[in-house]
Amino acid sequence: MNTIILIFIIFLAGAILTFLASNIKGLLKEVLFLASVIVPVVMFFTGVKAGDSFNFHLAGFAFQWEITPLGYLFALIVTGLGVMAAIYAVSAMQKTKNLGLFYFNFILSIMSMLGILFSRDLVSFFIFWEIMTWSSYLMVVYQGKDVQKVGIKYFIFSAIGAYAMLMAIVMVYSLTGSMMIDKMIQSYAGFAFNMQIIIPILFLIGFGVKSAMMPLHVWAPGAYSHSPMAFTSLFSGALSKMGIYGMVIVMAGMIAYFPEGHWFRIVIAWLGGITAVGGTLWAIAQDDAKKLLAYSSVAQLGYIIVGVGIGTPLAMLAALFMAVMHALFKGTLFMAVGAIEKQTGTSNFTEVTGLIRKMPLTFLASLMGIIALAGIPPLGGFVGKWMLYESLIGSDHYLLVIVIFFSSTAAFLYCYKFLFGFFLGQEEKEWEHVKEAPVLMVIPMIILAGGTFLLGTFPGLVIKPISAGLEQLGYAATQGKYWEMSMLFNEWGDQVVLEPILYAIIAVFAFFLVFLLIKNHKNTRYVSTKDISTSGEVPKEHENLTFIQNFFQPFLRAVEPLMKRQIDFYYNGFGKGIEALFDFTRRIYTGNGQTYALYAIIFVVIFLLLKTTLFGI
Amino acid sequence: MVGSPVLLIAVPLLAAFVIPLIGMIWKELVRIVPGLVLAYMLVLSVTLLVEVNQNGTIVETIAGWKAPWGINLVYSNLTGLLATIITTLGFLVWMFSYRFKRNVDFEPAKKYFIFLMMLVAGATGIVITGDIFNQFVFIEITGISAYALTAFYTGRNSAEAAFKYLMMGSLASSFLLIAIAIIYSQLGTLNMAEIASKMHTMDPVFKVIALIFFITGIGIEAEIFPLNGWAPDAYTEAPGPIGAAFAGVVVKAGIYAVIRMVFTLFDIPAAHDFLITIGLITLIVAESTALRQEKLKRMLAYSSIGQMGLVLVAFGIGTHAGVFAALFLMLNHAVIKPLLFFSGSYLVFNSKEKRISEVNGLGKFMPYTAGLFALGSFAIVGLPPFAGFWSKLSVLTAAADEGLLLVIALVLIVSVIEIVYYFRVVNRIFFQEYNKEESVVPHKPRFNAIIAMTVLAILILVIGFYPDAVTGMLHSASSDLLDKSGYIDNVLQVGQSLIR
Amino acid sequence: MYKFLEYGVYGASILLILIGLYAVLTKKSLIKIVIGLSIIDGGIHLLLITIGYLRQGTAPIFSPGFENAAAKMVDPVPQALVLTAIVIGFGVTAVALSLVIRLYRHHRTLQIDEIKSLKW
Repeated sequence: MNTIILIFIIFLAGAILTFLASNIKGLLKEVLFLASVIVPVVMFFTGVKAGDSFNFHLAGFAFQWEITPLGYLFALIVTGLGVMAAIYAVSAMQKTKNLGLFYFNFILSIMSMLGILFSRDLVSFFIFWEIMTWSSYLMVVYQGKDVQKVGIKYFIFSAIGAYAMLMAIVMVYSLTGSMMIDKMIQSYAGFAFNMQIIIPILFLIGFGVKSAMMPLHVWAPGAYSHSPMAFTSLFSGALSKMGIYGMVIVMAGMIAYFPEGHWFRIVIAWLGGITAVGGTLWAIAQDDAKKLLAYSSVAQLGYIIVGVGIGTPLAMLAALFMAVMHALFKGTLFMAVGAIEKQTGTSNFTEVTGLIRKMPLTFLASLMGIIALAGIPPLGGFVGKWMLYESLIGSDHYLLVIVIFFSSTAAFLYCYKFLFGFFLGQEEKEWEHVKEAPVLMVIPMIILAGGTFLLGTFPGLVIKPISAGLEQLGYAATQGKYWEMSMLFNEWGDQVVLEPILYAIIAVFAFFLVFLLIKNHKNTRYVSTKDISTSGEVPKEHENLTFIQNFFQPFLRAVEPLMKRQIDFYYNGFGKGIEALFDFTRRIYTGNGQTYALYAIIFVVIFLLLKTTLFGI
Repeated sequence: MVGSPVLLIAVPLLAAFVIPLIGMIWKELVRIVPGLVLAYMLVLSVTLLVEVNQNGTIVETIAGWKAPWGINLVYSNLTGLLATIITTLGFLVWMFSYRFKRNVDFEPAKKYFIFLMMLVAGATGIVITGDIFNQFVFIEITGISAYALTAFYTGRNSAEAAFKYLMMGSLASSFLLIAIAIIYSQLGTLNMAEIASKMHTMDPVFKVIALIFFITGIGIEAEIFPLNGWAPDAYTEAPGPIGAAFAGVVVKAGIYAVIRMVFTLFDIPAAHDFLITIGLITLIVAESTALRQEKLKRMLAYSSIGQMGLVLVAFGIGTHAGVFAALFLMLNHAVIKPLLFFSGSYLVFNSKEKRISEVNGLGKFMPYTAGLFALGSFAIVGLPPFAGFWSKLSVLTAAADEGLLLVIALVLIVSVIEIVYYFRVVNRIFFQEYNKEESVVPHKPRFNAIIAMTVLAILILVIGFYPDAVTGMLHSASSDLLDKSGYIDNVLQVGQSLIR
Repeated sequence: MYKFLEYGVYGASILLILIGLYAVLTKKSLIKIVIGLSIIDGGIHLLLITIGYLRQGTAPIFSPGFENAAAKMVDPVPQALVLTAIVIGFGVTAVALSLVIRLYRHHRTLQIDEIKSLKW
């Protein structure tokens, strides 16, 4: 049997079996769960090559499942992060009610994401897209918090996006008579002008929702912070990347039809820029780590969208590299927050402090994640951001450079807040009992954090698959090989590595870091929060003196006018208005039988009077 | 050969008279015999459908009176498909309600099952008859059984719903009779095929008036927008399984009658645009009303009306793809909505008010029923890989082929509304805490009910994962509907061949 | 004169339908509404009969000696229709009245605008 279909059958059967086994005591369900995630992933890497395909017909549509080089890259994200998150989840979700549902949706999410990457036709793309949507929706409402607001909001936005996409799909189908993505991109140049505009916009709405683009991002903070952290790492790390993947494969071909600097591409890029700034500012204002990371995800996806929107080969390279990096470090950070939440019961900075000695490994993983997020060498975030700046400057988007630069500088504030709030500062009595997270939760974090370091120092590991994917999409490198477009890279044998000078800098920094750690280790004195006196007064026991309270107040006050009204406010208003309107419409059904009879008579009379206009007779 | 189409109507009518007598022998027979009759109808309709698929349309003349003089029954791919849907649902409703309420004793149970059988027989008759007056009679049979079933519970406010239904229903029959009178006075025949062949000779003014009266009359049964005031009340107050029967049986028959008029009898092209317009209005009004419902069954009722609007839109597109999509929608709706009514009626079983807010946290106590409700919700809003997705996709592609972008956009916007109100309920069932004061006392479904629901759930999954299981049938049914001259020839030639 | 009478019958049937509609739409009493529905039915029956009416026609029976009478026969179909419709109308009216009794027991009133607990 074809390996591709086998992978999906195993996923599906595994999901159902795990669900059924969830009430059996013992480790059976955990084993089944891990097996049904890992077995297909192993099969994927051993049995499927780029170019293998599986074709069939269903309901009159031709289906084609085939992995492309670009899909392979994203599959690396999905499967790598998926396996790590699965291992993490087994430990993190212990003693949770309704575990079967969690495992079921987890497996289905991974399956649907792989399915999206395999789909070469729009129908199966949409089917997997929707499965991904509802399985992740069930995760968002899984913990039962605020389901009617946050959950429904997530689904409304997802549905709007998906249906915008579906509309584009059926329009493409009626124009080309085919559901193939390649066919759509080939015949795009021949569409009428209004179709050329409408179809990409509809697709953009669809993908923009999933990748939390600015006016469509409002679902993200709630959804990210309400789903179990074991899933959020996958949610933010991989699931939102599907929007990016869609933008790259569907839009790249279409947008490439517009010349560089066309208003449509500028609009996308600017939407990305606004997303980056808005997400960063909101992230700074958060006191809850989950919300902070959620907004930060929005911001990071903004950078990626900028890259896709600019659309030069280097910008695409930067965007895709950042997508991989974001999956790694955001996965790490969400897992770290999950670990902290599991050990302390809260994810609020203003409550938890001084965990560095209690959870050193979690701290290490978070530190690396934060460094990668902030874009500091030697971790991977730096490479991506550098390439993005390079491509922006290279294509003369100076204003956008300023925006991105502002956003990534401001990002330092929340990076600092995250690290400091949880791990540094004085210890409090309340958290004395806290221990390091279970080993199964720590290992995935450390592996992912190590990944950021590996890709930061040897970016060639990802650059090569990315360039293969871009070539397949029809991008030609402007100068020789892709990596030669950036001044960052250097060829070393057949490996792509950074310029030697960077390695030297990395070595120096690493040396100083180790030196400082060893030197200062002995003469640190640990104090608790209450072990101080302010203005001669000894603080009372219940006073919250956590340093992180009212952090960055001056900065937030400065940008307050920008943040005064969240766009969420308008959406809520709109929703309320619609509901009020519908409350009014339903009064048509008065409950009086005579009124209904009157409607029938009016119906007849109107049509008898209007018969000439209506029926042309 | 198991029998001829006429048995589909004759057997249940006969059984309806016999059952009270049998009931004197053994009371349980009153529950069993209708089930046997419905099972026989199911087997018969399926066998006939298979035969029609191979050998072409069966035209049955009654009592030796050939068409166009006598009444004839037409069992074609289209009518056979609809008859099969109707009988299947009839059987499932019987199975579900075999012991729906234990406290329902002999006398009401007798009426319940007899009327259920009559309802199914009447709806089957509406679909397979080839004579407009005969169709009117079947509409009345269906109607009277439906009024009686709506008023089944004496404790509730069901008489009010039944009275509204009856008021609208008898207005409907008046409009139908006027339309029949106009057609008969102009063309001198009641046979559908002959009317269709002579329609071009009719004075256009009378033709349009007749069409308007027909659509109004049947539109009341088919729940077209301003005529559907009775529907939510009747669905709410009737017993749960009867709501399923309304959604799956009565409305399907009504829709069939509308499209038979528009596609075969009347040659007015503008009627298709009319269907699209009226369908869209129905869809939008019903779905927006459903969003603000507090009672579960009422919400399902409005959703059902909305789906029928969508079916009319799809029929209004008028192409093969459009008709195919509409039939697919009807099939899916006939599978999914009964599942929702079945499981929904067990969710709010012990509640007096049947409020949506009372289902909080029931997923913990009755996971299977609640899970099936969730499956139904997922399917009806059109999420893949469940049944509803394929029909929604085919409606949209059919509309896109005709360039009806506004229709696509409106249908999709309405789908978002649909998602909101269904998922609110699913959220309540599974992800909110059970609250002793507010939530209802859970009531486990009986074994026969579980089987009936499981059958529907399996159908949803089968259609969802392998739509080709039904698309072949639907394609031949839609070509059958569009083949007007074929219909006329089939019916009239059988008549002539028997004369010679 | 006969012509006038013929049109007169058409007019009368339509008048009956309108009277019935008036009762259904404006009268508040359930009983009167049911009566209105019956009047509509009666009007339609009259309309149907009138369609088949033939001046100085004979009964539609072929009997010895009247083989050529087909041209003068009254159309039998509307009569059959009307008979069926009368039976149906009777059934519906019976159901309606029984429902009215139920409604009266439940609500203690026959005013239709007071019986609207099911709405929206």
